[in-house]
Amino acid sequence: MNFDWSVVWRNADAVAEGTKLTILLAVTTMAIAIPGGIVLALMRLSGVRVLSSLSACFVELFRNLPLILVIYTAYYVLPVATGFSLSPITTAIVALSLNVSAYNGETFRAGIASIRQGQSEAAYALGMTRWQATREIVLPQAVRRVLPVLASTWVSLFKDTSLVSVISVGELAYTSMRIRAQTYRVLEMLTAMAAIYWLLGYPQAKLVDWINRRYAVNE
Amino acid sequence: MDLDYSPVLDSWRFLLNGLELTLALSFLTILCSLTLGGAIGLARCYGPRWLAVPLVFYVDSMRSVPVLVVLVWTYFALPLVIGVTLPPFWAALVALTAQIAAYVAEIVRAGVTSIRAGQTRAAFALGMSRAQTIRTIVLPQALVRMLPAFGSILSITIKDTAIAAVIAVPEYMNRSQTVAGQSFHPIEVFTVAMAVYFVILFPVTRVVDIVYVRLAHLGRL
Repeated sequence: MNFDWSVVWRNADAVAEGTKLTILLAVTTMAIAIPGGIVLALMRLSGVRVLSSLSACFVELFRNLPLILVIYTAYYVLPVATGFSLSPITTAIVALSLNVSAYNGETFRAGIASIRQGQSEAAYALGMTRWQATREIVLPQAVRRVLPVLASTWVSLFKDTSLVSVISVGELAYTSMRIRAQTYRVLEMLTAMAAIYWLLGYPQAKLVDWINRRYAVNE
Repeated sequence: MDLDYSPVLDSWRFLLNGLELTLALSFLTILCSLTLGGAIGLARCYGPRWLAVPLVFYVDSMRSVPVLVVLVWTYFALPLVIGVTLPPFWAALVALTAQIAAYVAEIVRAGVTSIRAGQTRAAFALGMSRAQTIRTIVLPQALVRMLPAFGSILSITIKDTAIAAVIAVPEYMNRSQTVAGQSFHPIEVFTVAMAVYFVILFPVTRVVDIVYVRLAHLGRL
């Protein structure tokens, strides 16, 4: 068995580009999914029947579908539904955002619900409006409480970006597998891919553990 | 837009076989992950100290590498190392188990460490052996606390088996891709696939929620 690891160095530029796109996909998706999740949670808790059932349906649907299927479906359905063809990267961000927004929606809902009723009642007693009480009293406390969960969702998202390789978005997994197919250096490229994910993911997993300890709820 | 569901109906037997494989792969993965993950989790809590280092490394590595990468590596690269090519189904079982067992181990460890040290000390004070304490005092309480997390492991596993389509395990996702490609009706085929996965997964998450609400009081101390 002879392995030629130089193939990794010869393709270092392409791999670096793929890694950059992986990070970009995760950042963009989270930037969309945090406001998305907050909106979903507020809709769910708004007390307006239509809004809360819409939000519940959205969350339950995307929490109960394999992400890879959502990605494929988005790839085929979005061009037909919107009438113009979207780039694979846009499609990927849409599919990932749908998935992560649903998870964040549930996270924020649980976070807001975990803030005791007395907090908003006290705010009303002080003459605050419902919106003021939500924005100034409940949300700041809820955000602190959901931070550990958001951090775990981030790590999952970072790993899940690899799934968009199936619709040929040139991120790390796709790039590595493409080079593998071109050079036949299967073990070298796949191991390099795993190593890069590991190098990026391991510190994140450790950071999540730290955030979990730091922000643990003690009541 | 005209929707034509006949390709799905025409290949229902082909798709049903795929669904059976999805369920079989999910079931075997859960079984193997619970066994392996349980053993790793307990070994981390009660095993010799030197063993904890490689176990922590294994668990944290699996938490930081995507399941797709583990699948692809197991199927394409592992044969070059060990010299044996695994059929796709078994490669998927090995890869999914490797990944999900790490999550199970983490759940078991968190459950066991959440039981206060006073419980163990009280058991020792009553003259119980270490094994007795673990079996009759710690684990029953810890298991209740682990239940909701095990529930989400169920749905995570079923969802992750869809990724095995990438290494051509002929399960439901893979079969849907085949039908979609041959019939040129991807929208209908994938819509049906979404409905099928939802119908399987939604009751799983619901039942887990209900069981948890029923059992939650047992976990309180």
